[in-house]
Amino acid sequence: MMTPLYKYGFFGDEMSLLVAFALGIGFGFFLERAGFGSARKLAAQFYLYDMSVFKVMFTAIVTAMLGVTYLGWIGWLDLGQVYLVPTFLRPQILGGLVLGVGFVIGGYCPGTSVASLATGRIDAVVYALGIFAGTFVYAEVYPAIKDFVNSDSMGQVTLPEVFDVPWGLVVFAVVIIAVAGFWGASAVERWIGGKS
Amino acid sequence: MRWPALTLNQKLATVALVLGAGALFSQPHRGPVVKLDTRELAMIVEKEVDHVKPAELAAWIVEGRTDYRLLDLRSEAEFAAYHVPTAENVPVSALPDFPLLPQEKVVLYSEGGIHAAQAWFLLRAQGHTAVYTVLGGLDGWKDEVLFPVMPADASPQELARFERTAAVARFFGGTPRTASDAAAVTDGGQQMPALATPAAPELPRLAPAAPGRSSPVSAPTKKKKEGC
Repeated sequence: MMTPLYKYGFFGDEMSLLVAFALGIGFGFFLERAGFGSARKLAAQFYLYDMSVFKVMFTAIVTAMLGVTYLGWIGWLDLGQVYLVPTFLRPQILGGLVLGVGFVIGGYCPGTSVASLATGRIDAVVYALGIFAGTFVYAEVYPAIKDFVNSDSMGQVTLPEVFDVPWGLVVFAVVIIAVAGFWGASAVERWIGGKS
Repeated sequence: MRWPALTLNQKLATVALVLGAGALFSQPHRGPVVKLDTRELAMIVEKEVDHVKPAELAAWIVEGRTDYRLLDLRSEAEFAAYHVPTAENVPVSALPDFPLLPQEKVVLYSEGGIHAAQAWFLLRAQGHTAVYTVLGGLDGWKDEVLFPVMPADASPQELARFERTAAVARFFGGTPRTASDAAAVTDGGQQMPALATPAAPELPRLAPAAPGRSSPVSAPTKKKKEGC
């Protein structure tokens, strides 16, 4: 069987919603299990005394990247069909910074806020209202910032394409960066957080 | 030698490193969605290096060359009625899955040439580098190889050259024509050579067909209904 399953018509819209629901529940469950339902744990990342967020996210990236690479290698996954979010370099750098500021202030990112909301935390309710308010404000100011939002378009690009290097080299480099990052993160935790 | 005891995290990191190193040699599958070098393709189109003239193709067949695959992109019925000897029938829709080696030399033809040109892009997109189309398609084959027209008031040199062309035409079961013949025959009125009849004995070696698709052409018969 070849993936992407939805794109190749192995199931329809209803089934895709069910799959999305199951994946979403699983995602929320593991966020909660990792302790990411708590704003304290998440905010600790920015004070550098608990690098769990960095480690969990980088673990997810490396696991998914290796999985996708090997599934593509043995021919079960068609990488050409995997949807890539188009790159708009400067707008996305700015958007990332805005999200980061909101992350530090609110103590959640959008996904973890929903997981936290499911466990009934009040700060998560406030955060969720903030998401809706922010979405509304963005829609209202969109006409004014439209030109900037759509500037710097690079299309659906990947690192191997941008740097013109083989796919496998980027995979290997990301793994090296991740392992080095883990080592560094643990060192930072020992230094600032007093963890052993 | 004793291995140092590793923590779970160190073991996982080792696994990731090993897999990452293995990925250096990976060639992830990219399916039917590809990137094309449009500039390179445009250059090939402009320089017309992707064309095979019908006369060249005829010469290859007469020589019995087997270093290429000749694909007929028309429907099965049209293929059954007439096709260039040694051709294999592959409707365009079957082309993406047709087993071809990446470096194999492929010559395509269709009725006029549009389908062949489109199929040319399709195969180029699949990474085949040696793809050619027959200039003018089967129409070109008919006009230049099967039913060549001798120029009116031809010079002796031209006549000598036309004699060779005419021999090739007869080899493929066609009929060389004079200019007045050509004027008399309305479009599509020529009788196509019959297929799948025993090769005429006086013909030199017929082109060895591509595997499984041999259909030597005979001299034209007087029976109609084989026309295209």
